[in-house]
Amino acid sequence: MNIIGPDALLFGIDDIDAATQYLTDYGLEPIGNGRFEALDGTAVIIAPKDDPSLPAPLETGSMLRKTLYGVADQATLDAIADELGRDREVKRLQDGSLEATDDVGFVLGFQVTVRRPLSLPAEAINAPGAPPQRPVNEIGVEGGAQPRPRTLSHVVYFVPDAARTEAFYAERLGFATSDRFTGVGSFMRPVGTQDHHTLFFIQTPPHMQGCEHFTFHMGGPTEVMQAGNHMVSKGYQSFWGPGRHLFGSNWFWYFKSPFGCNMEYDADMDLHDEQWTAREAFLSADTTQAFLLQPREKWAPMGPPPKAAE
Amino acid sequence: MSKMVKLCTLEDLPERGARGFDPEQWGHDTVFVVRRGRFVYAYRDLCPHYGNTALPWRKDAYLDTKGEAIVCAAHGARFEIATGLCTSGPCLGKSLVQIPLRVSNGGDVLATLDTNNNGAESP
Ligand code: FES
Ligand SMILES: [Fe+2]
Repeated sequence: MNIIGPDALLFGIDDIDAATQYLTDYGLEPIGNGRFEALDGTAVIIAPKDDPSLPAPLETGSMLRKTLYGVADQATLDAIADELGRDREVKRLQDGSLEATDDVGFVLGFQVTVRRPLSLPAEAINAPGAPPQRPVNEIGVEGGAQPRPRTLSHVVYFVPDAARTEAFYAERLGFATSDRFTGVGSFMRPVGTQDHHTLFFIQTPPHMQGCEHFTFHMGGPTEVMQAGNHMVSKGYQSFWGPGRHLFGSNWFWYFKSPFGCNMEYDADMDLHDEQWTAREAFLSADTTQAFLLQPREKWAPMGPPPKAAE
Repeated sequence: MSKMVKLCTLEDLPERGARGFDPEQWGHDTVFVVRRGRFVYAYRDLCPHYGNTALPWRKDAYLDTKGEAIVCAAHGARFEIATGLCTSGPCLGKSLVQIPLRVSNGGDVLATLDTNNNGAESP
C-alpha cells in the first residue's frame, strides 16, 4: 500500500472568515473553494459545518471531517478499495477519490497524490569541524522573514481504542510503528514516506474522540521560530512551544486555532526505514521533549545610548 | 488571602461578549469576564482538560461564534457561560474555576482574587 501521507484535512467550521484569516496568517495560500495550500499543494480545506458535501461529523462534534491521504498511483488506490471493501463500504467520489471509515470512526479519503515535487534547500548551518553548509558570504537569517509551510506533515487523533487504531493502520493500510508511548498511542508512518510519523494517536475516553493537532513541515528550526513569532505578533495564542520533541526529533510550536484543535509548525523530523526498531517510553514532560521554551516580546539588553566621553 | 481588584467598568465590556484580563501582571491574561447584558461572569483562564493552558486562540476569543458557550480552542471543549460547567469535549463534567465578581453602583467590575493561588503556570 504505497500511501504517502495526508494530502489534505477537511474541516467543517462556524466562522469561515476567522478561519480564512488564521490559515492565511499561518502561511498557507488561499487558492479558492476553501482550499489553503502549502508549497507542495497539500492543504487544509474548510467548509461551513452544515455543507452537505462534508462527511457527517463524529458524535463528539470534532470539526475534523476527513483525513484525505495521497497515494502513489491508481494501482494503490485500487488495492485500498479491494482491501477495505472486504468489510466496509468504500465510496468512489466523483473526483475519483475513495472514501471509507477507519475502525474507530474517522472518515478517510484516498486519492492519487496531488503533491508537487519540491526542490528547496533545507536550513543550512555552519559548525566547527564540519564543512560549511552555507558558502562564504551567504547570510543565514533575514529579520522579518515569513516562511511558508512546505508540506502537510501529520495529524494527531484522540482515539477511544489505541490498540485497535494501531492494528487497523498496520494491518489494513500497511503503516509501520516508529515509536510508542506506553498505554497512550503510537507514531506511525505509511509505506510511501520515511518521515517518523504522519499519524499519531492518543488513547482517551470516547467522549474526547477528535483531532488533537495537525502540522506542516517547515524548512528548518529557524523557520519554525520565525513563523511562530509572526503568529504571536498577530495576536494568536501559543499552546505549547517552541521546543524539540524526542520521538521524531522534530522541532515544534503549537498554536490554538479556530478549528477546535491545535495547529503546529514542525521541522527536521527523523527518517526511518524497515531497519528501525520502534522504541517505547512512558509519556512525561521528560520523554516528550528535549527542551521547551516560551516566547517573549523582542527585547535588547541596552539602556540609553552611552554618553560621549567628556 | 484574597483581594478585590477592579478589572474594568461594565461599559468596557461588549454587551454580549468576553474579554481577558491580566490583573496580577503575569504578562498574559489569567482571568476572563463574559457579559450577557446585565449579567457578568468571571473565570480563571485555565482549561480543566490539561489544567494549565489558557482557552482562546486569539486574545478575547472565549466564546463560540453565536456567543452561546465558552469554548477552549485547544481541543474544542464547551462550557456553560453561567456556570463554567463543561458540557462537551475532553473535560466533560469538569468546571472552570469561577471568580467572585461584583459590579459596583458606579459600574466598576470588581473581582475577588485568591492571592495564594494565581492559577497560572509559573512563567
Ligand atoms: S486544553 Fe482545553 S480542550 Fe484541551
Ligand atoms: Fe505534532
